[in-house]
Amino acid sequence: MKLTIENVSKRYTPSSLALQNFTLELGSGILGLLGPNGAGKTTLMSMLATITRPTAGTIRWNGVDIGSDPNNLRSVLGYLPQDFGIYPNLNAVEFLEYLAAVKGLDAATARRRIDELLNLVNLTDVRKRPLGSFSGGMRQRVGIAQALLNDPKLLIVDEPTAGLDPEERVRFRNILSDLSGDRIVILSTHIVSDVEATATDIALISQGQLVAHAAPEALLPAVEGKVWEWIIPSSELQAAKNQYLISNTSRRSDGVHVRLLSSEPPKGTNAVAPTLEDAYLFCLSQCRAGVAA
Amino acid sequence: MNHANVLYHMVKADFLERVRRYSFLVTLAGALYLAYGVAAEKVVIVVGGHYRGQYNSAWIGMLMSTCCSVFLSLFGFYIVKNSIERDSGTRVGRILAATPMRKAFYTLAKTVSNFAVLACMVMVLMAAAVVMQWLRPEARPISLWQLWSPFMLIALPAMFVTASLAILFETLPVMRGGVGNIVYFFLWTFGLVAAAQKGLQDAAGMHILAVNIRQVLERINPGDVSNSSFSLTIGGDHATKTFLWNGIDWNPRAIAWRLIWVAAGAGIALIASVFFHRFDPAREHSSKMRRKYSADAEPALVSKPVRASLKTLSLAQIPLLGRSRFARMVASELALMLKGLHWWWYAVAGALLIAQFASPLTTSEGVLVAAWIWPVLLWSQMGCRESRHTTQSLIFSAARVTYHQLFAIWTAGFMVAILTGAGAGLHLLLSGDPQFAAWLAGALFIPSLALALGTWSGSSKFFEALYTLWWYIGPAHQSPGLDFMGTSSSSSSPLLYLALAAGTLLAACVARRRQVAYA
Repeated sequence: MKLTIENVSKRYTPSSLALQNFTLELGSGILGLLGPNGAGKTTLMSMLATITRPTAGTIRWNGVDIGSDPNNLRSVLGYLPQDFGIYPNLNAVEFLEYLAAVKGLDAATARRRIDELLNLVNLTDVRKRPLGSFSGGMRQRVGIAQALLNDPKLLIVDEPTAGLDPEERVRFRNILSDLSGDRIVILSTHIVSDVEATATDIALISQGQLVAHAAPEALLPAVEGKVWEWIIPSSELQAAKNQYLISNTSRRSDGVHVRLLSSEPPKGTNAVAPTLEDAYLFCLSQCRAGVAA
Repeated sequence: MNHANVLYHMVKADFLERVRRYSFLVTLAGALYLAYGVAAEKVVIVVGGHYRGQYNSAWIGMLMSTCCSVFLSLFGFYIVKNSIERDSGTRVGRILAATPMRKAFYTLAKTVSNFAVLACMVMVLMAAAVVMQWLRPEARPISLWQLWSPFMLIALPAMFVTASLAILFETLPVMRGGVGNIVYFFLWTFGLVAAAQKGLQDAAGMHILAVNIRQVLERINPGDVSNSSFSLTIGGDHATKTFLWNGIDWNPRAIAWRLIWVAAGAGIALIASVFFHRFDPAREHSSKMRRKYSADAEPALVSKPVRASLKTLSLAQIPLLGRSRFARMVASELALMLKGLHWWWYAVAGALLIAQFASPLTTSEGVLVAAWIWPVLLWSQMGCRESRHTTQSLIFSAARVTYHQLFAIWTAGFMVAILTGAGAGLHLLLSGDPQFAAWLAGALFIPSLALALGTWSGSSKFFEALYTLWWYIGPAHQSPGLDFMGTSSSSSSPLLYLALAAGTLLAACVARRRQVAYA
């Protein structure tokens, strides 16, 4: 099982290049797609889900160009878009039955599968309620269920935890971890902790380009010895923000504990172990500095 | 807070958002085509049976402003009746709802914004009127007052009333959707008929024009006015005689009548504020849903132990359907189409079906006219449901779905036509009447037209407006060429509608091909 993205670019207008010469090869496992807003994550996801065509380059599923045979990929695809709608007059079962029919599942298999999935996403009790009365988080869970209907070999989930409460977020992370068997899962998010908890690989995108592709632990050495904790009075916080890349602050009785990234730390700082979030911020800052230079 | 400033910025933002959409350019092109129709004498006003005015500034201004107020008050309504819906869909409404803005202010601002869009089209026609008179050597010179005063005093007040009615309909829960679109068509028809036959003052200004022109005509040639008719005709017979008309005498009474309509428009906008839901999610839901459920009442999920895991699921390859998949998709599309209908919908459809069976052949075709307007709101969802509910990415990422699903929708729509018109169809078939071909062509044509308009426009409104108008002019009045149901042998054209069914279905396929990246 292999998904190959070769020199893919996407241009919406002559002046807006959403993705630029993007190349990536994926095998089984969970890929966390990280990047700031507007980096090109959703564009990449839409192209992988056959919703939009690349302007240049090719995407291959098991060696087959999806441009020449999109159904080869679509028949094993599960896709949860960032923004999707529901039919408000249908209940969860009816909506999933409809999408199961569209995806080509027979009625008996669909019914069984829907029961299991509604249980999985914790919507069994409200299965007969019209979707129009669902909250945002409940709709998102219906979206997760529909993406799993056809036992996808390629599961693409774009900002899946948006709108979920903390417990449901943890629950979804567990679902993703359980899924990471013989399939490819692409998880796009800007919530680093979601990726940290589930991803076997990370792809970092910035300004339409692939900045890094590595295992999460492989990203950490780059920031090793560059993360510091500094305790300062709150009156000095603004000056520190102007001078250093700060990944976190917390106010305590002895002052503000500032977590900063720097090759040359200020006096009075203590070195701390880096996290994936530190590595992510560091990579992005390096990338921006490179572009600015 | 400076209310004028807030009003200005609200109207400006709304106006810019609309005019920067592709659909606005299409509408503008439609307005220009209307101007061309007038210039090419395809749209004429005939008075007293066979008179028309000389094409001087007064007559051209009156003719084009009448076209504006009559046609734009119908089509313009459907164009602008999405102002509140857009704020709701984009969630901008919820931001506005959290401000101190009053409901009356909002509905008034939206009315003015609707009016600005419609007035923009009127202004295009005002410019076109100048060009038209310049091109016609029949009567010169150009008098801007005579040319433009009917636009300002007849068309613009009519547009203001249309703009406010669109807001009122959007705020009334029952009128917000397709029902409102159909009801407005009959309201519009009733307004024109009342003005023409009962001599009532109307928003479109037909009465004031008809009375004024007839008085002048009777003064010029009292013995030669065969009847008192005043008709706006599209592609009909041209007038054989001309007379000189120097425009409406805009005395204070006449102006006051037109200003009353502006006040009525403002009144309608204020009434709309009473029903406006202020983007309260609980009130945005249908009343049926509201009664049963509280919108934000999430079930107590957090307290429940999380037992299910993917390990309990069978993740073996799920078999996909082969040939029987299409039948399952048709069943799903039909279920989706019928979902949410009230019992009384089925009761009326059933009653109309029984009436077709029970009545003699000649009458059953009359009942068919009613039977095939009843499901208009089901057909109008065809092809646009995906864009209305933003489910395209879920559906269009499925395998082999591009045309399968489209034809499944069409088949479901065809089944609705067959089932609701079965009585008349069986009567014709069993009696060996050749009109059966017309009935079948109608049943094929209706879902094809709905699918084409739905896929191309992404909205149900176009089909609702066009189909209702077509139904009213064609089958309901047995107009030859327009009677797609073939309600009489003299008016039916089965071959034409079979060809149109094929053409519109092809158009739907082209639209779907454009929607799906890898069709």
